[in-house]
Amino acid sequence: MSGDLLQGRLIVVVGSGGVGKTTLAAALALGSAKEGRRTLVMTFDPSLRLKDALGVGEAAKDGPIRVVEAGPGFLDAALLDVKRTFDRLVRTHAPDAAAARRILSNRFYRDMAGNLAGILEYMAMERLFEMQASEGYDRIILDTPPTRQALDFLQAPDRMMNLVDSKAIRFAMDPWWEDAGRKTLALRIALKGAMELSDRVIGRRFLLDVVEFIRAFAPLFDGFRSRAEEVRRLLQAEETRFLLVAGPGPDRVPDAMFFLRKLQETGHHLGPILVNQVHPDPGAAAGREPGTVLLRFLAERDQRGLRLLRSLFPGEKKIISVPLEPVPPGDLRTLGLLFDKLSKAAPD
Amino acid sequence: MSVLDRIAERQLVVVTGKGGVGKTTLAAVLGRLLADRGRRVLLLEVDPRESLHQALGTEPSGGEVVPAGPGLSIQNLQPGAVIEGLVREKVPIGYLARKITESTAFHQFVEGAPGLKETALLGHAYRVLQAGHRPRTDLVIVDAPATGHGATMLAAPGLLAQAAEGGQLGEMAAGLADFLADASRCGVVLATLAEEMPIQETLELIALLRVKLGLRPELVVANGMYPALSPGAAPAPGAHLWQARRRLNEAELSRLAAAWDGPLVELPLLPLDRGPALVQALASLLREADP
Repeated sequence: MSGDLLQGRLIVVVGSGGVGKTTLAAALALGSAKEGRRTLVMTFDPSLRLKDALGVGEAAKDGPIRVVEAGPGFLDAALLDVKRTFDRLVRTHAPDAAAARRILSNRFYRDMAGNLAGILEYMAMERLFEMQASEGYDRIILDTPPTRQALDFLQAPDRMMNLVDSKAIRFAMDPWWEDAGRKTLALRIALKGAMELSDRVIGRRFLLDVVEFIRAFAPLFDGFRSRAEEVRRLLQAEETRFLLVAGPGPDRVPDAMFFLRKLQETGHHLGPILVNQVHPDPGAAAGREPGTVLLRFLAERDQRGLRLLRSLFPGEKKIISVPLEPVPPGDLRTLGLLFDKLSKAAPD
Repeated sequence: MSVLDRIAERQLVVVTGKGGVGKTTLAAVLGRLLADRGRRVLLLEVDPRESLHQALGTEPSGGEVVPAGPGLSIQNLQPGAVIEGLVREKVPIGYLARKITESTAFHQFVEGAPGLKETALLGHAYRVLQAGHRPRTDLVIVDAPATGHGATMLAAPGLLAQAAEGGQLGEMAAGLADFLADASRCGVVLATLAEEMPIQETLELIALLRVKLGLRPELVVANGMYPALSPGAAPAPGAHLWQARRRLNEAELSRLAAAWDGPLVELPLLPLDRGPALVQALASLLREADP
């Protein structure tokens, strides 16, 4: 039926911003539910239209919302909110309420935790872990963050493990300024120098905020590390497929190649490649008015892109051309129609 | 005074917008137009996968300043490299500087410190504009990174100034924040598409810039508009797609216009691939439309 499109227990939809990942993820998830699977779609920042289509609002940020019942199958949707996920993690995993409060009220955490590099990806990973562990789903479809470097997601587990093990953390955990007296004179001078330099350049309050944050966070690190390891295994599992969505035309091919190479290098399993928003051929009979000339150019340009991608990436993987919709899907019916089109376009 | 006249008087112009809306092409178009007015323009791109050079038909920058026609140069910047350069400058002993830049702690700090990378990039732009800098530059156009919200970059110096208050870093960031807030010297141009998500984000960005930073964009450009079909056009195959897309464009533009009373320019889809010919054609259209 749907060919290779719906293969795997976990489908991670990746691609550059603005290529229609979120809509395609929703359409695939709906199709999966209709095929009788208990399906969850996890998404970031969907458009209002799509939120309306799925009938989910703010509540989906706290947990999955039922969208469709389809016999044995169903579709749930969850929205990812970095701050809420982070806060929830802290509350769940902190050793006690006081420790949780210490982190949540830390200035560095409040102002900046949400801005840390890769934090969005990391929170997606944590949320995925929560959902996957619940075992209530046959299939989870994960729409990845709308960043150009969406593959940061793949590195999030390693990055978290590195951070936990890094010298910076151990440095912060070591009460070096408190018991400098026990250190050798040379080290004491070096530390004093380092302190003064960083004081002058970075500012003491900032450093103390960071150190305090790291200390408050330390009890949670073991848990972070073990979950990160599990998510890494999950992402590389045979049952996990990465579905790449690419924009049309030759200009977008380098983006697609970047993703493909990265996924192959890191040993992740690649599903089909969807080239989205391909302009259809206006037909030979069409006239010569400027509009038709432009349409013909766009159709030809998009075919050039497909040919280029196929030539660069020959053989085993399926490259599926998904036509540009006159009107983007705005409700469950049109999402369903989009899935039907995808199924037809996908070779078995 | 037209919008382009005003923009030509700025020292720093940040072009921002969601990924895939033609931001880089617009930055190149503005660079071309302003260089044609006699300004010495440097276009800064912040993306490990360079594409600005394709728009202007030059060699990739690889971090260097590359000439791209009269009065115009491009440079691709890596935030990490800019920060390491600063460390090397501040710490004159090579061995020590290497020790610092090679340490894990340094990398964690660069990754983790809020707004540090963005501030370093804007700081680079600021330095390039100083009188003593060679080659002389009158105006820097930053093609803002597609990652994160467009306001993140502009808010970064203020955020860092607050976080690192009291140190040199904080002072530098505060100075930069003041520069960015000076509407006579710095401007923001928003690129968008007349589609739901990009328009939504543009509206949010306009509101965010106003509330958080007190900034008002100089110009909003809606790229990739399907041109209006002439009334007599025969209903060719594909006309349905065309009409539907055009209607969508129009509906989204009026949604934008309802909340944005500033200058707005529509640029059409053109039957040209990314490259100098496209930049030239769009530059003429933008010059004609100049509100």
